[in-house]
Amino acid sequence: MSFLAPLFFAALAGLAIPVLLHLTQREKKQIVRFPSLMFVRRIPYQSVRRRKIQNWLLLMVRMAALALIILAFTRPLLNSTGVPAGVANAREVVVLLDTSYSMGFGDRWARAQAAAREQIAGLTASDRGSVVLFGSGAEIQLRSTSERSRLQASVDAAAPGPSATRFAPALKVAGSILAESTLPKREVVIVSDFQRGGWRGEEGAKLPKGATLAAVPIQGPADKPNLTVTGVTFTRSFFSDQQRLVVTAGITNRTEQPAKGGTATLEVGGLTIATKPVAVEGGSSTSVVFDAFTVNGRNMRASVRLSDDALAFDNTFNFTVSPIEPVHITVLDRGSAASALYLTRVLSIGESPKFEAVFRQEDALSDEDLRRSAVVVLNDIDVGPPLARRLARYVEQGGGMFVATGSRARWPQDVDTLPATIGPPVDRTRGDAARVGALEYGHPVFEPFRAPRSGDFSAIPVYGYRNLTAVMGAQVLARFDAGTPAVLERRVGRGRVLLWGSTLDVSWSDLPTKPVFLPFIHQAVRHLAGYTEPEPWLTVGQVFNTSTVAARGTAAQRVVLTPSGRRLPLDDEGTDVLELTEQGFYEVRGDANQSDAIVAANVDPAEADLTPMDPREITAAATEGEGGTDSAQSGVPLTPEARERNQRLWWYFLVAGILLLGADTLLSNRMAKA
Amino acid sequence: MAVEIHAIPGARFMDPTVLARIGNLELVARAVVDGFINGLHKAPYFGASVDFAEHRGYVPGDDIRRMDWRLWARTDRYYIKEYEAESNMNFSVLLDVSKSMDYGSRGITKLDFARILAACLTNLVHHQRDRVGFVAFDHEVVEHVPPSAKHMETVLHVLERITPGRPGSLKEPLHRLAEHFGRRGVLVVISDFYEEPQSVVDALSPLRFRGNDLVVFHVLDPSELDFGFSDAQPFEDLESGEQMPVVPEAFREEYRSLVRAHIDALTQAFSAVRVDYAMLDTSKPLDFALFRYLNSRAKTMKIR
Repeated sequence: MSFLAPLFFAALAGLAIPVLLHLTQREKKQIVRFPSLMFVRRIPYQSVRRRKIQNWLLLMVRMAALALIILAFTRPLLNSTGVPAGVANAREVVVLLDTSYSMGFGDRWARAQAAAREQIAGLTASDRGSVVLFGSGAEIQLRSTSERSRLQASVDAAAPGPSATRFAPALKVAGSILAESTLPKREVVIVSDFQRGGWRGEEGAKLPKGATLAAVPIQGPADKPNLTVTGVTFTRSFFSDQQRLVVTAGITNRTEQPAKGGTATLEVGGLTIATKPVAVEGGSSTSVVFDAFTVNGRNMRASVRLSDDALAFDNTFNFTVSPIEPVHITVLDRGSAASALYLTRVLSIGESPKFEAVFRQEDALSDEDLRRSAVVVLNDIDVGPPLARRLARYVEQGGGMFVATGSRARWPQDVDTLPATIGPPVDRTRGDAARVGALEYGHPVFEPFRAPRSGDFSAIPVYGYRNLTAVMGAQVLARFDAGTPAVLERRVGRGRVLLWGSTLDVSWSDLPTKPVFLPFIHQAVRHLAGYTEPEPWLTVGQVFNTSTVAARGTAAQRVVLTPSGRRLPLDDEGTDVLELTEQGFYEVRGDANQSDAIVAANVDPAEADLTPMDPREITAAATEGEGGTDSAQSGVPLTPEARERNQRLWWYFLVAGILLLGADTLLSNRMAKA
Repeated sequence: MAVEIHAIPGARFMDPTVLARIGNLELVARAVVDGFINGLHKAPYFGASVDFAEHRGYVPGDDIRRMDWRLWARTDRYYIKEYEAESNMNFSVLLDVSKSMDYGSRGITKLDFARILAACLTNLVHHQRDRVGFVAFDHEVVEHVPPSAKHMETVLHVLERITPGRPGSLKEPLHRLAEHFGRRGVLVVISDFYEEPQSVVDALSPLRFRGNDLVVFHVLDPSELDFGFSDAQPFEDLESGEQMPVVPEAFREEYRSLVRAHIDALTQAFSAVRVDYAMLDTSKPLDFALFRYLNSRAKTMKIR
């Protein structure tokens, strides 16, 4: 037995206190008056003799209680491990096997598997092992088992995937396995190529106290060239109503070896468009421009493929190609050229997306116009009830409506669609013109103006506006300086309505002549049309929100086809978010098995950078410098439970001490009464 | 004439503690002495009386009225008739009222015990028509009632009102008193005698110089004899006020042997000077003391 706080033994000196109390206490009693001390005086007086313990039992009880409490404070520690001898050296070993795609470089994977198998073979009968495969995430293949054959099989069955290396999630998983273990020795073995890109600092990955971390680096010189397609860019051109696309692929050689004699091939829809020779010096990049091709359908699958090299995963780069869909807009206008001038000009500009605006007078609006249009703009017109009801229906079905209010603007009271009631005009031609302020920069319409010097609405003089009163459920996005709402939005059914309190020409304000006019109108139309930039590709590990795909069937009928051919149903209870774990094309299919959307997934090009790091950096961060690397700790590291069990003695001492004090109280009370 | 000692009915069971509660000394004395008859006590001296004692030869100067003419007629020699001198004896109690007497561990103090004893003896003697006197002393004479046949009430009254308060010493007051007791009589000294045996004897001896008969009662509390204390406590001397820590368990044996030695020394010293000495334990009944006194008187008569 040893003690964690032996200094408390100094308090044993306190045991003298009850002894002294017992010796001195009685003399403080009442003085005995005696006729004469004549004879007493003759008796030799010895101070030692006159002190005599009166109550040995009480004294003993008190001293024992004190001693026990002091013992408890010294934290006695049993040196025994508390586990049977055979189990004393039992280990809980977690093998973390890197399955990022960089492990496919050269013969690294074969070496990694061999190293993992070797670790598993080193387990004894009392040991337990776990196999965790990790890339950007971590997956427990086999948890805490002593069956070595199953562990070996799980290593044999593993293969590098398309993911990038991330050590932190793997260490967290290993930590959780070790934390649940009751074995005295706990080890983590990382079998990896230890790329620099896989470790971004501590990231909160800590192993339990006492656990050791052993690193098995699978490295070696990158003596073979490896080319990586890092991305593609598009150049679109329009030729006789057809869109043509030129693809430029960026190619990087991250090794020191020059890559010569390779080729890059562009495939679109399964057809090879062009093959180009590629030669990249070591540690440099190049770009390959392919021939133009016509984009004649939505979601065309395209890939850039490099000829084989040391690492296969990064040789293919997938993306989707679609013709740019214009945003159709119907502008209801009273027919005067002056009032629509600025709007016409603004909507004629723009490539991504392209706006296709048709101008109609209010009585000429057809159902076909409404069906085609993503957005209807009411440019200061008097809307009668029939038209208002049609427009209300249109909005409820998902359309967007932009309403500009000038002197003529009117909307029937009984159609509750606008975000505000349109009040009388306010004339600010005399005195200071009104200004627009209090912008809601968090809203998508004003988000581009959030940064400083990104457009100043308050500099625009407004000479007249309609007094708007927001209705329930409307959001005020901007106000005039008098506090009246200037821009409001309201969701109606599946659509949205934006209301601007002034005109879109120069009759009431200078807005159309200011730089903010174009981005304001473009943002408003994009927002109302629900337009989002198409993403030609995503990276493995990212998530894809399937709810953004225009649905053509009930949720119960939709499925996602993965690159490996698996079908993932998207039912009502399923999540809308799909994590991309494979390289290739994911396809969202709806009703009648038609393709709704195609998502291209590529490997993270950063993973192709094989620059190694020092594994000790991870060891130091994850084990707090306690565990050491692969050298086992001397002695037997105890589990926290065993440690606690060995230190629990103090608790018993304390309880015994307190019980004795209680007994002392009872005893002394009883003796006092006697 | 031999004195027969009989148990006084009830007196044997008269615990001093009970007597002390009665309060009225006269009542107490009467209760204790009741049953004693006149004549139990005879004066040890010769004098004018009706009880013939003996003849002795005439010497010039003798009163010719006490000449036994009948014997002269038969023997032709002059003889004087001697008679027993009864009564008319002086009896005084000399009571030590020093502070040390004010101690009692069993419900009665030594002084109270001595008070009752003195009252009883006085009452007993008064029944015999003797003159009774009383002296209280500590380091000097505190109260003095001269012997007289009429002083019985006074003695009891003084006995009742005396209070102990001062340290005592025997030599000074007793030497002074010795000069006053000119006429022969019986002197009873009651004290706890906390002085060296020799100095006690030295202090008391002068009382006998004029032919006084001396009876000494040494009154002690049981605690003073057995030292039956248990806890270690500081002890304070009643007279000097001196304090000292005492562990009775350690002291007891030695103390007892010292007290025993003291009593033995006193017994021896007094017997050497023919003084009647008796040690009285306040826990014992009073009749013991009375018998002791009468017994000693009887012995004196025989010796003579």
